[in-house]
Amino acid sequence: MRGVYGIEANTLKALLDGLQDTMGHDLWHEVQDFLIHEARLLDDRSFDEWLDLFTDDVVYWMPERVNPLDSNDPADSVSKPGDLALFEDTKDTLRTRVARLATGMAWAEVPPSRTRHLITNIQVDTGETESEIRVRSNFLVYRTQLEHSHDTFVGMRDDTLRKVSGQWKIARRTILLDQAVLSAPNLSVFF
Amino acid sequence: MITEMNGFVDTQQGLLDRQIFSSDEIYQQELERIFARCWLYLGHESQIPNPNDFLATYMGEDPILLCRAPDGRIRAFLNMCRHRGNRVCRADQGNAKDFMCSYHGWTFNTEGKLIGVPGMKEIYFGQLDLDQWGLVEVAQLDTHRGLIFATFDSKAPPLLDYLGGQEQELGIMFDRRAGGTEVIGGVHKWVMNANWKYAADNFFGDDGHHTITHMSVRSVPVDDRFYARTNDDGPDARDRPLARVPEGIVRDYHQEHFDELVERIGPELAKRPGLVTTVFPNVSPNFTRNMIRVWHPRGPEKTEIWSYCVVDKDAPPEVKDAMRLHLTQTFGPAGNLEQDDMNNWVQCTDTARGLIARRYPQNIQAHMGHEDKSGPIGGGKRLRAFYTRWEMMMRAGSWSEVDLQTKYY
Repeated sequence: MRGVYGIEANTLKALLDGLQDTMGHDLWHEVQDFLIHEARLLDDRSFDEWLDLFTDDVVYWMPERVNPLDSNDPADSVSKPGDLALFEDTKDTLRTRVARLATGMAWAEVPPSRTRHLITNIQVDTGETESEIRVRSNFLVYRTQLEHSHDTFVGMRDDTLRKVSGQWKIARRTILLDQAVLSAPNLSVFF
Repeated sequence: MITEMNGFVDTQQGLLDRQIFSSDEIYQQELERIFARCWLYLGHESQIPNPNDFLATYMGEDPILLCRAPDGRIRAFLNMCRHRGNRVCRADQGNAKDFMCSYHGWTFNTEGKLIGVPGMKEIYFGQLDLDQWGLVEVAQLDTHRGLIFATFDSKAPPLLDYLGGQEQELGIMFDRRAGGTEVIGGVHKWVMNANWKYAADNFFGDDGHHTITHMSVRSVPVDDRFYARTNDDGPDARDRPLARVPEGIVRDYHQEHFDELVERIGPELAKRPGLVTTVFPNVSPNFTRNMIRVWHPRGPEKTEIWSYCVVDKDAPPEVKDAMRLHLTQTFGPAGNLEQDDMNNWVQCTDTARGLIARRYPQNIQAHMGHEDKSGPIGGGKRLRAFYTRWEMMMRAGSWSEVDLQTKYY
């Protein structure tokens, strides 16, 4: 079964099985630099530059987490492509989100959240084509806003990075938050 | 302890006491007099189509197991082992013939019957009456246009009487096509530190907040495929059919089947721009967003939000996809419109705790004395109507004191 942006059900299975981390240390360091650079752009709220890190055909998807019946398979704790997701975005809709934040009237981010994106447990594996690699990483995103509000988002990302004109770009990002019921009032930050 | 409700709601003056959003005493009374008595929304028939399908939900703060029994009947029980209180089911949904409690193994079927107790002979000496210790069932359960409601009050009026004039209104969203509606998989679930009534009254009648709260989407419209002209609130927009439905594939679809809609629910309702309401107390359908929203109370200052995507069963797959994506882009935790609602409600709740703040009432005077200018479905009169119903339920010792004909909608 495919979702509207061509998200395949079996990608979940593959990502939850984990990657082989077969690509060697030079590439691993290159990828880590890339992800740390990306995290910094987000924490610095340089969202336009952050958008430039994505290919034009990116699929940015955050499914729901569910409590399955009688299953130990982690893939069963994830809602399916075609189900209601938390994010199901293209480059265009991500661009709209960023533009909206820049209006100063997107009240969820007035004043802006202060975030820290901590990226760890990076694994790098071969991609579907020669110009692509699969990258899995864990994250902890701390967000605080106003006087007392604070949220901690923990989860993992499964990225496909593609070399475009000598630069890595994110061609696909699947984000799994670990919470089934989010203990945050909104998702007005990016992952 | 039952609080006399004097002075909390003044619909003549359009004033609300802020304590109703922060007092634990009032909240406890809401659980007793509203959530334990009113018809509450449990789910959609399409979520449990087959025998032994089940899903877990809540009525107030009580966990509920909603089951399709082997005979096809829909049943709902407290998700609580009668022995020591463990939940008998930990999954969100699925298909199961029976549920074994993981504490001591008491086992119940989808009709709520206790069918097995380990140690029946050695511990209970065969004297435990299994019939006495089945799951606690709701007092009444009924469905309406695919929507499943239940109440723990055996004296509550029948569902149709309870829905009153809203019954017809619901057709705008749930009776457009012969096949009815279905819920798409996946539920948005999240928690906010706000009183449940802010959200419920907002969907019922606070249509004055759009212009400011959702100002950002006015200057950066979510594109035509997703944007539902929330701000197209000119006086004529209220009377224009499909005025708030997103342009493109979804509006074309509704346009194509508009005659069918008129035939099914009549021209007057069909020509309304949509349906955004709250079936008292805590379920809010929103036609434009293809959404059913439930506000589960979690204390005076906390609400757990469950949000479902609902589409016409007969709609083509690409229309269903567009409806789902529209919902994701606009509402839900990451929705471009809804993100901005939460902090407002959270802070309204927060200030209600202040001692001095509580000496000053809230203002629900919009359109007061000019109700005729507020259109058929909106305006401050609906806020006042919501709190009229709320106060009536909070005062009433029995259903005979509840007038369901009072101008609620």
